[in-house]
Amino acid sequence: MTNTRIPPARAARPEPSPPPAPRRPPARDRGTRLLATLFLAPTIVGIVVFTVVPIAGSVGLSLFHWNVIDSPSYAGLSAYGEVLGDETVLVSFRNTLVFMVFAVALQLLVALTLALAVNGRMPVWLRSVFRSAFFFPLVLSAASISVVMKYLFNQDFGVINWLLGLVGVAPVPWLTSENAAMATVVLVYVWQQFGFSFLLFVGGLNNIPKEIHEAAALDGATGLRKHLTVTLPLLSPTLLVASVVGIINALQVFEQPYVLTNGGPGDSTRTVVMVIYETAFEQLRFGEASAVGVLLFVLIMAVTALQFRLSRRFVHYQ
Amino acid sequence: MSQATLSSGRLRHGLAPWARIAGLAVCALLTLGPVVWTVSTSLRTPAEAFDLPPSLIPANPSTEAYRGVFDQIDVWLLALNSTLVTGLIAAGQMITAGLAGYAFARLEFRFKKPLFGLVLATMMVPLQVTIVPVFLVLKSMSLTDTLLGLIIPAFPTAFGTFLMRQYFLGMPKDLGEAAMLDGAGPWRTFRSVYAPLAAPGLAIVGVLAFNYHWNEFFRPLILETSGQNYTLPLGLVSLQGNLGTGSISVVLAGVVLSMIPAVAVFVVGQRPLREGITSAGVNR
Amino acid sequence: MTDSHLTRRALLRYGAYGAGAAALAGTAASWDRLTGADIPGRDDGSLVVATLGPAYGPEAIRTLQEGFAELHPDIKLRINAVQAVDWSDFFAKILTQVAAGTAPDLVYVATEGVQLFAQRLGVALDRWVKRDAAELKEYFADVHPSLVESMMYEGSLYQLPVEFNAADMYFNRQVLTRAGAAFPPADWTRDDFTALLRDMKRTGGARFTPYFWTNRLWGGVVPWLFANDTNLLAESKAPGGQWLWDGFYPAGQRAGRGGGFRWTTPQATHDRVEEVYDYLASLIQDGLCTRPEGGNGQNLIGVFSTGRVGVTPAGGFWAGGLHLAGMERDGFDVQYFPRWRTQRMQYGAAGYALLRTSAMQDEAWEFIKYAARRDTLERLFATNQTTPARRSLLTADRYAKTGPAHWPVFYDTLDRFPDTGPIPAPPQVAEVEQVLLKHTGTALASPRSVRPALRRMQGDLEKAMEREV
Repeated sequence: MTNTRIPPARAARPEPSPPPAPRRPPARDRGTRLLATLFLAPTIVGIVVFTVVPIAGSVGLSLFHWNVIDSPSYAGLSAYGEVLGDETVLVSFRNTLVFMVFAVALQLLVALTLALAVNGRMPVWLRSVFRSAFFFPLVLSAASISVVMKYLFNQDFGVINWLLGLVGVAPVPWLTSENAAMATVVLVYVWQQFGFSFLLFVGGLNNIPKEIHEAAALDGATGLRKHLTVTLPLLSPTLLVASVVGIINALQVFEQPYVLTNGGPGDSTRTVVMVIYETAFEQLRFGEASAVGVLLFVLIMAVTALQFRLSRRFVHYQ
Repeated sequence: MSQATLSSGRLRHGLAPWARIAGLAVCALLTLGPVVWTVSTSLRTPAEAFDLPPSLIPANPSTEAYRGVFDQIDVWLLALNSTLVTGLIAAGQMITAGLAGYAFARLEFRFKKPLFGLVLATMMVPLQVTIVPVFLVLKSMSLTDTLLGLIIPAFPTAFGTFLMRQYFLGMPKDLGEAAMLDGAGPWRTFRSVYAPLAAPGLAIVGVLAFNYHWNEFFRPLILETSGQNYTLPLGLVSLQGNLGTGSISVVLAGVVLSMIPAVAVFVVGQRPLREGITSAGVNR
Repeated sequence: MTDSHLTRRALLRYGAYGAGAAALAGTAASWDRLTGADIPGRDDGSLVVATLGPAYGPEAIRTLQEGFAELHPDIKLRINAVQAVDWSDFFAKILTQVAAGTAPDLVYVATEGVQLFAQRLGVALDRWVKRDAAELKEYFADVHPSLVESMMYEGSLYQLPVEFNAADMYFNRQVLTRAGAAFPPADWTRDDFTALLRDMKRTGGARFTPYFWTNRLWGGVVPWLFANDTNLLAESKAPGGQWLWDGFYPAGQRAGRGGGFRWTTPQATHDRVEEVYDYLASLIQDGLCTRPEGGNGQNLIGVFSTGRVGVTPAGGFWAGGLHLAGMERDGFDVQYFPRWRTQRMQYGAAGYALLRTSAMQDEAWEFIKYAARRDTLERLFATNQTTPARRSLLTADRYAKTGPAHWPVFYDTLDRFPDTGPIPAPPQVAEVEQVLLKHTGTALASPRSVRPALRRMQGDLEKAMEREV
């Protein structure tokens, strides 16, 4: 592994690069282990107490019937059988996967396109304005902005249909037709989230040495072709980070569909986390809710593992 | 013939600069549109709130809605609580993520891979699944209905640790090796070589933590019971009024007010953020 | 270059030290805030009451607290306004507290949760009501028996209702005038209603929809089910309750009252239910009505007050909402829901439920009585964002500022149509609500989708009702 980009603060200092030491003395190993222990302690202890223990609790809970009010009764794996036979649960998994595919793809596409465009020649202040604008939605609260969006996308009174009406488009049932609703939820989600991938890509692009572009230009590669053959492979590690984080977040989407459509029309935008919430806090079936949570966890793990596996083939490290 | 060459040439060179900038401007407007609508509606009376065409600059701007927010809720107490919670979480996450990220990137120890996997795995569990057990854990520590109960569980951050690990991996390895050859131990190598370079990366962790926790709703709703412990997102709910009868202008004025600190943090953190984001995410 | 760099770095470092020191000092200074130690009277054996945040702002809480302290200086009281956006948020909060054994003594519960609380968490108030009968005579005389009956479960009373909201019809007067229509009479019918919507549509222009839904659920389909003399779940009365009716209500008002409602067999595929859905689907088809998913509070107030909607069903809470939105008192008015097979109307009510786990049940009962007093409600509901459960509070004075002109409709809904009843809310209410919402969306997509969607609704309702909560 080498990294061609030099962290900013170091730039002024010339760097001696002696040959790497082949073996470290044992005393230093002990020091390293001690330091590692100290450095990791806050994170690991915190995670064990506030995440691992509660997760273990949830997994345990999935083996019980529990309505919070009475004491739990052991039910074996019956909760899993029940949720796997429940049409709403299965539909919610399908919806979540569909959502993930479109949301992550769109988010990466938009972010990458805009990052490439912002990376082109333009005045510095203008670039800074664009960067801030694209990052901005990320500082807003998903819940309150979804309330605003709900009005903007209203079929009869919303600003968006009014704007479309100006150019002669008939009112679109953004939130009230089964096909459009999922697309609208994806749009609102991507609108809020793409800023993060955008920033990652801007950073990634800055890391690609100018010489490579110049060399590519000498070879006659320009425009789209240059991006496809030169930029994209070099950007692939960033792409991996952005897609791993994007997928993990998308599979847990809750606020946008909860506020915008409450899962409807029908079940068309009901996501897994919404089902977990409804099963636990509305239907008081905490065992079943935990079972769905465990299934979601397994799904996310599987998708992430698959990503890392695929990344070995497609991700190109400089 | 020359025509064909020209057009294919344009294709290869991509869009003209002005077209690219115009396209970006349109995208920026689309991105900011809903925000602009929110701000301008908070400055209108509710009767004008849903006017079409929406007048982006209100005909007679009124700050009445903002006065309404201050009349109806204790903005200062809520903001103090939110600032304490968010500020301490951001600071805490910068410390835990900086240290753990460094350990995963630059130190050798046993069980490194499974431990890192464990950290990553915690990103994959939705809050809704664990909130009741978390509440019970906090209760056993007498931390329910305190601000600390919101803060302490948020100190470890899987995402921040992941980012900082990428960030440290992005720094040249030979830096540290040189220091070690000079006789520096692992602590001094960290302290004097790598830590000073970590600021931009930590800025990302800090800004993202601030954004997320400033707007957090569900955890405070479940954990805080006394009105004195409410954070801004909780307080703003009052503005909606019984059965949604509150004034839309006041509701949106509340949203805009609560947006300001997050924007300020973003503006201040923007430069280190940009530098940081440039260095993270390049290497595995 | 190097120099300035070093300086910058040094500056940064000292800056960081400074910031760190300031943060530490700040943290230490705010330690009491962080641990909640500065909150007086925590865990000191106070009576704890959980209310709904949006309904009870800080001002209302102060009012409640001060009034109670005057009356009962010996009982320490804490009121926690749960800042939930909806009922499920609220319930999530309360349930977590129940799970942790830190539940409040009293919880503000609306019709949606009455039976669930009664069955699982609540204590019947019967013995206290009997004990303090003399004191309560005045209360019951002022509150319509239907509201009281809606708070009963299997013969016992679980709450004293303090507020309610029925589904009356609101009109934008300007839209009425534009349509050349007269204000409808009290005994108007569904066909009058349809004709009115058509007149409004004809004169309303492109961006106008005559009829809108208050909320996605109870303000939508269910009032029409009531008007068509049916219900989502077969409705009957539990036996019992005579102890209350005989003690507090004259013979004329007692007739037909029982021990609370029972909602049992789902009947979504019933002819009359289908009729309602067919009717609403046709309204949507003809552009007389929006799709139900659009319904929600603040949007609706905005579009109604600006005349882009002409008619909508809502209760007394809307008078205050429209006033806040800047609508003049004569800009809108209200009439009963139109007659179909009947003119029976629907409402939701709310009051305080006493939890079984409470160690201060006698003190809690004192609060329940206090919260239902005339002077308490008078102070609490000053802005007309709900309808007080006490008839005597509905006065011309109260509505002088907000309107509407026909304000007596709010309470006369109960007095004139005494079989007016609560929304169907068995203990399985959350799931029933979700099923209704889900399939109403698909049912009203087009006239053809009504029947298949109702069949699926029926299946899901049957499954939900079988479940023990």
